[in-house]
Amino acid sequence: MKGTVLVVDDSAMMRKVVLRILKMADVDFESVLEANDGLEALTLLRANSVALIMCDINMPVMSGLQLLQQIKEEKLAPGVPIVMVTTESSEPQVRQAILAGARGYIRKPFTIEHIKNTVRPLLAA
Amino acid sequence: MSQSCVEQSPYCGADFLSSETLNRADEAVAEVFHMMFGFVTEPVDAPCPTPPTPGSDDRTAVVGFSGSMRGSCQIRISSPAARAVASAMLGGVPIDEDDDSINDAIGELCNMLAGGWKNAIPALSSACALSPPTVISGHDYKVHVRMPSVNLSRTYRFDIHCLQLTLHCEQVEPPGE
Repeated sequence: MKGTVLVVDDSAMMRKVVLRILKMADVDFESVLEANDGLEALTLLRANSVALIMCDINMPVMSGLQLLQQIKEEKLAPGVPIVMVTTESSEPQVRQAILAGARGYIRKPFTIEHIKNTVRPLLAA
Repeated sequence: MSQSCVEQSPYCGADFLSSETLNRADEAVAEVFHMMFGFVTEPVDAPCPTPPTPGSDDRTAVVGFSGSMRGSCQIRISSPAARAVASAMLGGVPIDEDDDSINDAIGELCNMLAGGWKNAIPALSSACALSPPTVISGHDYKVHVRMPSVNLSRTYRFDIHCLQLTLHCEQVEPPGE
């Protein structure tokens, strides 16, 4: 798949897991950017264009929800699908993320099927 | 009116001590181990055996709860078990004993177990938040909880390994008058 995927998670292990499962789901990108928190992700987004953002919610420095707000405010990554990947799956949190601009929501733990069913339709749209 | 008794955080009474607490923990452990690592888990009565090699390290990960339940979720496993989990998380890639990603994997495991458990309990799902995980490694250590707490613990076997999960629910002293 053309383009770059940005994976935002404070766990380097979970970033590797997300990238591995994306690949297994045939959602393989030309290049990868990784950020440890929302602030690092913002810096990367100001300098790079990406085709997909996979983002955790609970992170130090800047959370995933704060990152979504900032992306909206700065009009970064217009039209790029943002998928939240998180252990937090209560309805208010999902609603908050969708209102803030997320297009998909995957709860940890997840399988290849979850990634396929959530991410592939967003990239095909 | 003076309050001499210890006041519990909202979820720490009969709800926490009901069978639902450990049933939901069993489900969370089974789901995470199956989906993320491909392991089948089984709750066992006996505590995890002491590490097979004298002086070998254990690892403990802790994730805090705040909101309608104050407390923590702790998991404790031996270093070989932690290494097996980290390796399985990466699809079976061999991992060195001193690789930092082992602690990262154990922290994430605890995070998923804590999240899976509390999300399955309606009273906690949206009313309880998780802290980032903390991981401790070493041998001959004890993890002390400062506040008086109600604890529930369960041991699980996976592959040739063992994991101990403990849920602490804090009892909070009301402010003095």
